Amino acid sequence: MHWLRFAVLILAVTVLQASVVNTIAVTTLDIKPDLLLILLVFFAIYRNTKDAIITSFTIGFAADIIGPVMGPQVISFGLFGTLLAYLHRVIAIRKMPYQSLAIFLIGFLSGFLAHLLGLLKSRPSTANTFAVIFGISVYSSLVGPFLFLPSAWWMRIKTDRFSRH
Amino acid sequence: MARKRIKVSRPMLITWLVLASFILLLAPQKLTSKFQFAFARVFRWPLSTGRNIALSARIQEPPATAVQRREYVQIQNYLATVRKQLEQQRSRNAKLSAFRKRIPFEDARFALAYIIKASPAEFIIDCGRDDGLTVGQFVLGDNSIIGTISQVSAQTARVELVVSPRAQIAVTIANQDAILQGSGNNSAKIVLLPTKHKVKVGDDVFAAPKPGLLNCLIIMGRIAQCRTNDEYPLTWDITVQPACDIEKLSSVDVIVMNPHK
Repeated sequence: MHWLRFAVLILAVTVLQASVVNTIAVTTLDIKPDLLLILLVFFAIYRNTKDAIITSFTIGFAADIIGPVMGPQVISFGLFGTLLAYLHRVIAIRKMPYQSLAIFLIGFLSGFLAHLLGLLKSRPSTANTFAVIFGISVYSSLVGPFLFLPSAWWMRIKTDRFSRH
Repeated sequence: MARKRIKVSRPMLITWLVLASFILLLAPQKLTSKFQFAFARVFRWPLSTGRNIALSARIQEPPATAVQRREYVQIQNYLATVRKQLEQQRSRNAKLSAFRKRIPFEDARFALAYIIKASPAEFIIDCGRDDGLTVGQFVLGDNSIIGTISQVSAQTARVELVVSPRAQIAVTIANQDAILQGSGNNSAKIVLLPTKHKVKVGDDVFAAPKPGLLNCLIIMGRIAQCRTNDEYPLTWDITVQPACDIEKLSSVDVIVMNPHK
């Protein structure tokens, strides 16, 4: 694993997520793809389990940095990224539709958990919270698999070779 | 000499990371927000550039029309505030002619701050404690109140917008005091105002004066919807829209009262 490349990628994606991604937001609910979620699934699929665990928690931390409160995303991304990495040892997620499905499920479940954990930090919810989580998961699952290729190129990961260690 | 590699088992790694995450979750927000402020400060330039790109991409109208529209909103908001102040001053004149009237913003200065990072409920701005900002100060956008300072670091601050579900601000509506509660969908609610008070769609909502932070009424929004409350039929359920387009702001003014003190 090229950790320096990983750090640069995460920083760049975090800045993009907090700024330019708003350009492609849709509907009045401001639904936009979650690039960090896409990266989480990418590393869980294409890296070994140990790397996937570390990257999941790191990406969660990055998501918290640009979020309203610190803590909920690092736990939800960390736990679901780890779960996906272990699941990947049993079921290979090779085809694009399966990758989309993985992004959608992880996005929805981690969003739900982050919302619940956010309540612990007295972060009030809005009436449309679940619609927003659903919308972000769908949007991310649609664009996500197309971003795997540039991510793999940057990380020097061969997408035709699967690691299940 | 060969370096000794530390081997950590996967369960142990997960345990440590989960533990660290829970510490982060349960640590006071005042402490953990330092990470967010540091990130906003370090990446101030790319964040604000990216936001400006997003803003310019979102504006549908031709640039000339957009400027005119914005100026129109600014002037309208300023006019509404001045009218209300005039009305207030006249009322005071009538009742307390012996007292010397206080000119609004007599002891205030405005700290111009650029928005580094924006979300539907809050902004991070590039002014902080060093510029005289403290928690609770009111923030103006296009001459209307858009929120209050909720957290401050040395060079940055967090603005909680009036539309944030966490925001609760004392307001004046139809010469009655009420509490405005953000609802999160770029709007806010006023509940439990008795229906005996006459209010209608389009009425202005003003931020109420607060000692040491605001000494006059300033426009905050306008009533977008007004109907009787389903649960409490003797009260209003009022939806308020902010007086300016918060999403399109690139800078704000923070009201710093008594800056010399």
